Amino acid sequence: METLDPTDEQLVDRTKAGDARAFDELVVRFSPRLYGLIYNMTSSHEDTNDLLQEVFAKAYRSIRGFQAKSSFYTWMHTIAVNMTFNFLKKRNRRKTMSLDDVDNGILNDPNFIAATSNGDPSHSANLGELQKKLNESMLKLSHDHRAVVTMFDIQGMPHAEIAKILKISEGTVRSRLFYAHKQLQNHLQEFIKK
Amino acid sequence: MSPDMDNDQISKLLRLKLYERPPEDYFENFLAEFQLRQRAEVIRRPFYQIAWDRLRHLLALPNIPRLAMAGSFAVAVIATGSVLTWSDSEAPLAKKNSRVSSKTSPSVQYILPAEVVSYASARRSF
Repeated sequence: METLDPTDEQLVDRTKAGDARAFDELVVRFSPRLYGLIYNMTSSHEDTNDLLQEVFAKAYRSIRGFQAKSSFYTWMHTIAVNMTFNFLKKRNRRKTMSLDDVDNGILNDPNFIAATSNGDPSHSANLGELQKKLNESMLKLSHDHRAVVTMFDIQGMPHAEIAKILKISEGTVRSRLFYAHKQLQNHLQEFIKK
Repeated sequence: MSPDMDNDQISKLLRLKLYERPPEDYFENFLAEFQLRQRAEVIRRPFYQIAWDRLRHLLALPNIPRLAMAGSFAVAVIATGSVLTWSDSEAPLAKKNSRVSSKTSPSVQYILPAEVVSYASARRSF
């Protein structure tokens, strides 16, 4: 017989009732996604690891206050984004990059091939270059722009969801994306096919 | 090239960042690390902070309106405060009175109003 996985909301209710294992399940569910969000905003694995631990610790402490006015998904992302903003403000201009290893699957990605095959068949040589350039370009964006680009372009979230997480209008999300893309175009020109 | 196409290419390039991932076993160890940190935090935290958190959690219970809870808490604090203040101000007086009466009872002097004194002496003269 097939057993259905509990929904996020069911796990939240169980956590509120004192079931710590239910929260562990939420940690397992949300950590890969939130890792991606924080990592792409900080470009540092060490910082991401520490922040992610703090994000879940904060969520656990305040879960009884979660009123389900938004989805648990939105609530978790809001905590993660706000904590990352605060962290970035403190880190300020200390730009450290400790980039994660790139999954080998990228070598077969048509977008990677298209971006790096300008007469150079050696993909792996371009991989490091592309990764460095992408991260440098992201770090040049303001925190607000970086958050929107991370959620929309990298994580594929819809505008409406981003607006809810950042508590801004959808129009503001679109406008931030427009300016961020303009800036990125200048930095990534060599990888954009004319 | 149109701006839309540029945007599309930028998006495609950025999506390559999805391949930047931590090692395979990272997420397996993450939960264990989280649990360890949580336990360490509970041990490190001072008692008043834990009590404060519990109180906050109690006030945040979803089925009880927050304002009602906060209101009753405030009333309880004020009531307790008043009782304590009242008993503090009454206790020394009562103590003092009892001490005075026990010491002075043999030669206690009552000061009566003039009308009462004159009325009493008039009756005595009968």
